[in-house]
This record gives sequence, C-alpha cells and structure tokens, in this order.
Amino acid sequence: MAGFAEWLSATPLSIAIQKYEWLTPLLQTIHILAIAMVLSSAFMIGLRALGIMASQSIAAVAHRFVPWIWTGLALLACSGIVLIIGEPQRALVNPAFQIKMLLVLVAGALTYGFQFSLRTVGEQRKIGLMTMGFAAGFFLLWCAIAFAGRLIAYTQPA
Amino acid sequence: MAAGANSDWIGAILRWLEGTEAAVYVAQSDWAFPIIETIHVIAIALVIGTISVVDLRILEWASAARPYRQIAAEVLPWTWATFCLAVLTGGLLFISQASEYFGNTAFRIKLILLMLAGINMMTFEFVIARDPAWDRDDRASLLGKIAAAISLTLWISVVFFGRRIGFTMAPG
Repeated sequence: MAGFAEWLSATPLSIAIQKYEWLTPLLQTIHILAIAMVLSSAFMIGLRALGIMASQSIAAVAHRFVPWIWTGLALLACSGIVLIIGEPQRALVNPAFQIKMLLVLVAGALTYGFQFSLRTVGEQRKIGLMTMGFAAGFFLLWCAIAFAGRLIAYTQPA
Repeated sequence: MAAGANSDWIGAILRWLEGTEAAVYVAQSDWAFPIIETIHVIAIALVIGTISVVDLRILEWASAARPYRQIAAEVLPWTWATFCLAVLTGGLLFISQASEYFGNTAFRIKLILLMLAGINMMTFEFVIARDPAWDRDDRASLLGKIAAAISLTLWISVVFFGRRIGFTMAPG
C-alpha cells in the first residue's frame, strides 16, 4: 500500500491536484456538505424510528431521506477519491483512514439492508425494537465515521 | 495576527480567554481538540441538513406536499439545538487559540456569514413568514423563496470558510 501511495502521488493527475491550493479545501467542503446530507438523513430516520418525530410513517420518512443517503455516499466517494489522489500518503497508509473505510462499508451494507427491510413494513405505524436499535446505531456509526475521518488529519506520520 | 490588535482591550480579552482553565485543557490535551472538532463538524452537519429540509420545502424542491408549518415545527427545534452545540464546541476550539483565530481572515469571514445567516433568519421568521397569504396557500412568497436560497448559500459558504481556517492558520 505504501508503494502504491508513493506511485500514485507521482502521477500527473496527483501533481495537477496538488498544484491548485484552493482545490483541497473546496473538495473538503463538498465532502462535509455530503456528510451533512448523510448524517441529517440518518438523524431524521432515527428520530422517526424512536418515535420522537411521528407525524409521518417510517416508510414515508425513509422514502424521503434514504435517497439522500445514497446521493451523499456517492458525493463522499467522488470527493474522497480526488482528495486521496491529491495526497495518497496522507490517507491510504493511515490506520484512521483504513478503519474509516471499514466502517463506511458496514454503513453502506446497513443502508441497503434497511431499505430492503422496509419493503415489508409498508405504511404500518408500529415500529419494532429492531428498527429502533438499528436507526440509533446507524446514526452513531456515521458519527464514528466522521470522527475517524477527522482523525486522519491528526495521525500523520511526522 | 495583526500586531496592533494585541495591544488593545480586545487583545487583553483574547489573552484572558486563552488563559482560562478550559482553554489550557483544550490546547494541551492530545484528544480534546480532535474530539471537540468532530462534535463541531457533526453539529454543523446537522444544522445544515435540518435547515436544508426547511429551505428546500420553502423552495418546493422537496416535501412540497407536506404543510410548511408542520415541517418547521418538527425540524427547526433540532436546528436550534444542534446550532447551540456547534457554538459551544466552536467556542471551546476558539478559546484554545483565541488570538490566532481572531486574526484569521477566514475565521472573520465565517463569523460575518453567520451573522448574515442570523439576520436572514430573523427577517424570515418575523416578517416574511408572518404573511397571512402563507397560511392560505401554504406557499412562500417570492421574498420567502429568496430568503431560503440566501440561507442555503450562506450555510454552504460557512462550511467553506470554516474549512479554510485550518489551511490558513499556523499550527498551534
């Protein structure tokens, strides 16, 4: 991985990204806005699942917000990949980054599973304990992903 | 950091803030800063996400079939709660290096944008949203839609200048 990171940082694309000093903060801004999409969507679904916000069925809330989770994930992947190409050594060999990717895989699988499980729920109003635990856990998982992401900046090899 | 600002009363306040117990703790602990910063990012993400739900409803780009008042009543308390959390965590980050932040251009722009977002929100809440036509048709006036678009633009800019701070400040 270290060799790949070194090779990547010498590619013309990486050098082009490094050349524009405003590009990294701009991409990070897009990255944070995408995190806002995902976290807030998970938050809204969580509030509904816990019954704190109850004017709509869970299916309606999921229908409103799950597409934003996928859109946010796609934006995160795109902006994240360009950021990595620009600074491969910062991320690829960093344990905080590796843990983050693992958590993102789990979050993606859970989103898919949640969407799948909702097909049988329909418009019913009663929410099972499973869904409640899932929705709360899902939001906390995304908070952990944000923490791991921020830690990348603090765990740079000297 | 402008040298002049350090010699006046603002400089004295900034140095006093940096000397408080909380500031020294945040500055010296290995874990305090990244943890508080993460909570700050999560809080801002929720402020922007929840306010977007409301703004996009006003613009009728999302949730157009639901009554505006219902969405606002459900969502905006969370915007306020997470905004308070963002101010609290932001304040802790600020006092750990108060003079540095105060002299940083990106930080100053961010504060001005936040104030503009506040003024925009007050104008919307106390003038535009009081229009009786709103309750009749459940649709925002053109002014209401402009306010929603300004709100989205300002919050996106707040994130950009917030991120710029980290790139333009000397490491503490």
